[in-house]
Amino acid sequence: MKKIDVALAQINCKAGDKEYNIDLIERNIKQASERGANLVIFPELALTGYVMRDITYELAEPIPGPSIRYLEEITGKENIHVIFGMLERSEKARAVLYNTAVLIGPKGFIGKYRKMHLPTHSVFEEKRYFRPGYQAPMFETEIGKLGLIICYDAFFPEMTRLLRLAGAKFIICISASPSLRRRFFEVLTAARAIENTVFLAYVNLVGIEDGLQFWGGSRIIAPNGDITLQAKYDAEDLVVGKVDYADLDRAEVFVPTLRDLRPELFERLKKQTETL
Amino acid sequence: MLKLSSDVLEINLPLTEARIERFIRDYVKECGVEGAIVGMSGGIDSCTTAVLASKALGAGSPVLGVMLPEEETYNATDVQHAKTVAEKFGFPLETVDISPTLKACFNSLPIYDAKDKLCKGNLKARIRMIYLYYYANKLKRIVCGTSDKSETMMGYFTKWGDAAADISPLKDLYKTQVRQLATYLGLPKEVVTKPSTPALWPGHLAEEELGVKYEVLDLILFGLEHFMTSKEIAEQLQLPLKLVDNIKRQWLTTEHKRRQPLTLKLGYRTVGADFRLPYSLG
Repeated sequence: MKKIDVALAQINCKAGDKEYNIDLIERNIKQASERGANLVIFPELALTGYVMRDITYELAEPIPGPSIRYLEEITGKENIHVIFGMLERSEKARAVLYNTAVLIGPKGFIGKYRKMHLPTHSVFEEKRYFRPGYQAPMFETEIGKLGLIICYDAFFPEMTRLLRLAGAKFIICISASPSLRRRFFEVLTAARAIENTVFLAYVNLVGIEDGLQFWGGSRIIAPNGDITLQAKYDAEDLVVGKVDYADLDRAEVFVPTLRDLRPELFERLKKQTETL
Repeated sequence: MLKLSSDVLEINLPLTEARIERFIRDYVKECGVEGAIVGMSGGIDSCTTAVLASKALGAGSPVLGVMLPEEETYNATDVQHAKTVAEKFGFPLETVDISPTLKACFNSLPIYDAKDKLCKGNLKARIRMIYLYYYANKLKRIVCGTSDKSETMMGYFTKWGDAAADISPLKDLYKTQVRQLATYLGLPKEVVTKPSTPALWPGHLAEEELGVKYEVLDLILFGLEHFMTSKEIAEQLQLPLKLVDNIKRQWLTTEHKRRQPLTLKLGYRTVGADFRLPYSLG
């Protein structure tokens, strides 16, 4: 597939109310489908909201689990791919939870990514609740080769780099970013796209949870850094735009970062990091 | 599976007493104040708190019990209970009638509605807070709060009223645990066994308003504290699921009463959010 239509579903979910949020997700999937999207992307922890604190334990569910099963029916009916964030509970231990991004296609569940970099500073307390993931798989799908990352992962260029080296052409970053961090994400998401010559979609929450105001501003960034589609700031929005994989060829020639990579630096990077 | 029975609420009484008294003593010493003020209603929580504070601080660093009755809910038995406890455990008790202040408030409030007993009751609790803090300021003491864990979890208190304090030594003990501790400390039986009342209006009874006996409520709250689901709790205690769900909802929807006022994050570090400082330094 050379070209796909992508919807960014920038929703304001209701804290702790999975029933309401699933319904909101379902409505957005239908609208995206009506507007011709092949893929619709929702923010980080869209199923529950971001600030769940101790309620995290009761809202998490296994993947695949009941929410995935329900949404599989919708993606099947609408013939669409969906990416969204949710609280995952390990099948093996009740207190082992993950902050997970899920990919579902028209034929059902495809795969998941468990957030590897868990912010635990400032207002964030993710390590208190979550175990970090250990790998970021590249998903080869009907709509292209996809790599998933979550929010704070965007601050670690090696994540996106590894996905790109594994063959990903389209990076999807789902996020729950409060307003003070907007300038970081606007720069970093563009940087990840440019330095890897890759498409990147960033989808953020909106609304206020416990005094954190999520700023929205979801976007698609082309491999040359152009923002080709952008949702509103600080308001719910559903926008649909194109990702044309053919653009990658031109970008790779214009700034051939992958050709110019120096593997010996990565060796040093590893050593230096271990002795930090 | 955690088994919900009265056993789970049993506490080590000598150890609990020692810990609470050390906590009060250390805090008062660290603050460099001269003692503690305890607002007393004559009920079990305030009597237990005053006794613990008095035992903790001893003779040199005194505790003053302050009773703040008012005409509408005046209860001679409660007043007598407070006096008995103060005499038995040897700390002074002052009584101030807040009725004139309340009347002044009612008269000066343009939107005062005598029929709205909740608003009126909350005003009483907040006026009491003002008196207690005046005593604390003037006498260079802290206000030692009397809230227990059951009413705190249920949000069953007046915001900035009876829960306003510098420390709240009983706040991690359920009501039934406070009863155990009160008996162990030697409080009069009639104080321990009488029905609990916030006394915001005449005939105001806690268990009636909460819709459940403390023996049951505490087990429900204990289950919620230990991450049990409403269904598990209801099944074990053979209660209607709706009752447990309602209690859970009341617990979750009253978090705003237990924390600092919410603000929007605008700055680098935010009060109540990500300033993480010790309670007291130096």
